Amino acid sequence: MQNYQFHGPRTVGEALNILSERGDGCRIIAGGTDLIPALRNEDILPDSVLNILEIDELTGISEEGDTIRIGPTTTFTEIIQSQVIKRSLPLLVEAASSVGGPTIRNRGTIGGNICNGSPAADVLPAVVALDGELELQSKALGTRIIPAAEAVEAPYQTRFNRDELLTGILIKKLPSETRYAFEKLASRNAMARAYMNISIVLKLDEKGAFSDLRIVPGTLEAVARRMSAAEKILMGRQPEDSLVEEAADAFVGDLAGVWIPDYKLPVARSVFKRVLKRALNGSGVE
Amino acid sequence: MKKRGLGVGCMFYGIGFGFSRQDISAATIEICEDGSVIVRSGEVDYGQGSDTIFCQMVGEELGIPYDSIQLITADTFTTPNAGPTTASRVTYVTGNAMVKAARAVKETMQSVAEDILGEGDLVFMDGEIRSEYPDKRISFRDLAKTCHARGVQIVETAWQDITTKDVDPETGQGDAYATYGWASQLAEVEVDTETGRVEVLRIIAAHDVGKAINPSNVEGQIEGGVLQGMGYALTEEIVQEGGYLKTGSLGDYMMPTSMDTPRIDSHIVEVADPDGPYGAKGVGEPALIPTAPAILNAICDALDIRVTELPANPENIKRLILEKGKEEEAS
Amino acid sequence: MAGKEDKVLLRMKVNGEEAEVAVKPTWTLLRVLREELGFTGTKKGCEQGDCGACTVIMDGKAVNACLVLALQAESKEIETIEGLGTADALHPLQKSFIEHGAVQCGFCTPGMLMSAEALLRENRKPSLEEIKIGISGNLCRCTGYTKIIKAIESVSQKNREALTPFRGQ
Repeated sequence: MQNYQFHGPRTVGEALNILSERGDGCRIIAGGTDLIPALRNEDILPDSVLNILEIDELTGISEEGDTIRIGPTTTFTEIIQSQVIKRSLPLLVEAASSVGGPTIRNRGTIGGNICNGSPAADVLPAVVALDGELELQSKALGTRIIPAAEAVEAPYQTRFNRDELLTGILIKKLPSETRYAFEKLASRNAMARAYMNISIVLKLDEKGAFSDLRIVPGTLEAVARRMSAAEKILMGRQPEDSLVEEAADAFVGDLAGVWIPDYKLPVARSVFKRVLKRALNGSGVE
Repeated sequence: MKKRGLGVGCMFYGIGFGFSRQDISAATIEICEDGSVIVRSGEVDYGQGSDTIFCQMVGEELGIPYDSIQLITADTFTTPNAGPTTASRVTYVTGNAMVKAARAVKETMQSVAEDILGEGDLVFMDGEIRSEYPDKRISFRDLAKTCHARGVQIVETAWQDITTKDVDPETGQGDAYATYGWASQLAEVEVDTETGRVEVLRIIAAHDVGKAINPSNVEGQIEGGVLQGMGYALTEEIVQEGGYLKTGSLGDYMMPTSMDTPRIDSHIVEVADPDGPYGAKGVGEPALIPTAPAILNAICDALDIRVTELPANPENIKRLILEKGKEEEAS
Repeated sequence: MAGKEDKVLLRMKVNGEEAEVAVKPTWTLLRVLREELGFTGTKKGCEQGDCGACTVIMDGKAVNACLVLALQAESKEIETIEGLGTADALHPLQKSFIEHGAVQCGFCTPGMLMSAEALLRENRKPSLEEIKIGISGNLCRCTGYTKIIKAIESVSQKNREALTPFRGQ
């Protein structure tokens, strides 16, 4: 491992000062489940490593009106065990439960999952499907909020400025009767990188037609995004079998070629239909 | 859709090196003046439990508790060569050396005991040597002391050679190995036809081990072998690209986790081998050999598709399902 | 401020005792436990969080010691296998592992035990499925997990019985 300086600030203010001074050569570490292997393999060679785990402001889950605020250093285990998340954002519990094994979930954080920008992230697509927003802070720009869908530019590359710190994940509580489903396909039942995962959040109006719908796959593309072609077909219409087939075709057609080995397309089609059906059959949040 | 299938895999497997390759092992047993027993052998226990069964064997012969025996193994400075821990040979070869050495020591001690207790049926058990008369007995410790006082040799080294004849070079026929393990395993799988993912629900494994010296160890070997066979069948793969290993870490090379573990029912079959120690053979490698064929047969039962390439991971299974669909459409 | 090459003083608690070590910023908790403090019961396996051989309990949670920078362990309470039990006074889990033949080569065993201990502290009576999840970050190549799961199940069962009030009186 290349030598680096270690910074352990206790407040966001201190962290922002360090980032503003050392921006380019500085890497932020939280749970370290992605960063430490990257340091060891010398995939990254930072001058400084900034530990944000001791900043109290950055951890925990709180309700602010109709919004749930999740601190970026909140671990997957804390998300799984949170009553607030279980009640209002159960999709996140499913996505977080599918990450690694317990030792990884005890250490890995939601902020890390977003900022690492891995195409194989399990939680980031769920945050996008939940229409989450990210609060970023820096000395230069102060506080700004961007949609989670815009966080990642390319694999392992975020759109954040070098001196910016993710300080909160903001997700609106799901309106009542919103339905959701998540499924991860992998070669084994734990400690597995996803072949693919799909998060779906939807709502039906009183006529049973889609009135709200977000479909976000993971690992199928370089960057997690909403599958707008499939969403467009379904919106405003009732989920009949023929329509679901049409949407499934659009879903598969929307996936860019490079990231998908041939075999994945028919599988992605099946998994999409399965997740959509599961969401439709689910009881929805209260 | 999820489809279930059952499949059987059967195997026999040669124990030891076979094919005229030299296959020898040695063990030394020394009885100390205070009655303690020191066993030396170059055999390595790397988890399969050979140390435990060596102590069981020596304890059985000398009538002393197995945990009172001091075992020194795998140290070229102090132990005789026993060959490597491979080829499922350790119990069969080194186990025999252990029994032979223990019996040689016992024979000497028995003659001294007969001198003390008088001739008759002497038995070595519970740390003493008893005759049919209840008052005529001597503790193992006292007998050891007497042997030492009399200057009797109670250190013995035994040599076991199971090198076989080669097979006929013209016909390939012959009896290549000293003995053979036999096994059948039955696999029950569930295949997700949409994703191509195979879940193993249950494995029933019946293994002829000759004699289970330590049944719990044998089960451990079977259960471990089954999961290795399952990994071999479904997920584990060495991938190279341009000469570089792409699966060089445990995050890339997918071995089964606790959550992939199916129910495993082990059945120990004991058909004693005339030349094995107490009839024992070997189980190390046999445990994993029938698993992959059983799983592939179960997949075939579920899908009517014969898998000929491993691993049978979702990619390969889904490809085969799609190919079959096309063929059926065409015909 | 300390330079990149300089060592920094790390204070933490290991198995209930204060430990003070001068560490380099690049060192992991695993390296400090094994090489500086001599707690070699914590095994060094893959060093990237894939195998679980280095599992220790940090502030009550099972973590991979290879995925914690030493300086991130400042002021934390670490428990290693050495703190779980001794040869003379085995922990119930250790006893159960021996009784059930759950140890073969032994390399995964310390990490497996620490994961099991962390699980039982949070959930005294885990179900079979919960046990499988609890140790799913710990790979074992020898046992096929079956006897390990049974060993933990047996402790869970004993906890269950101990917690069940006696009926019929």
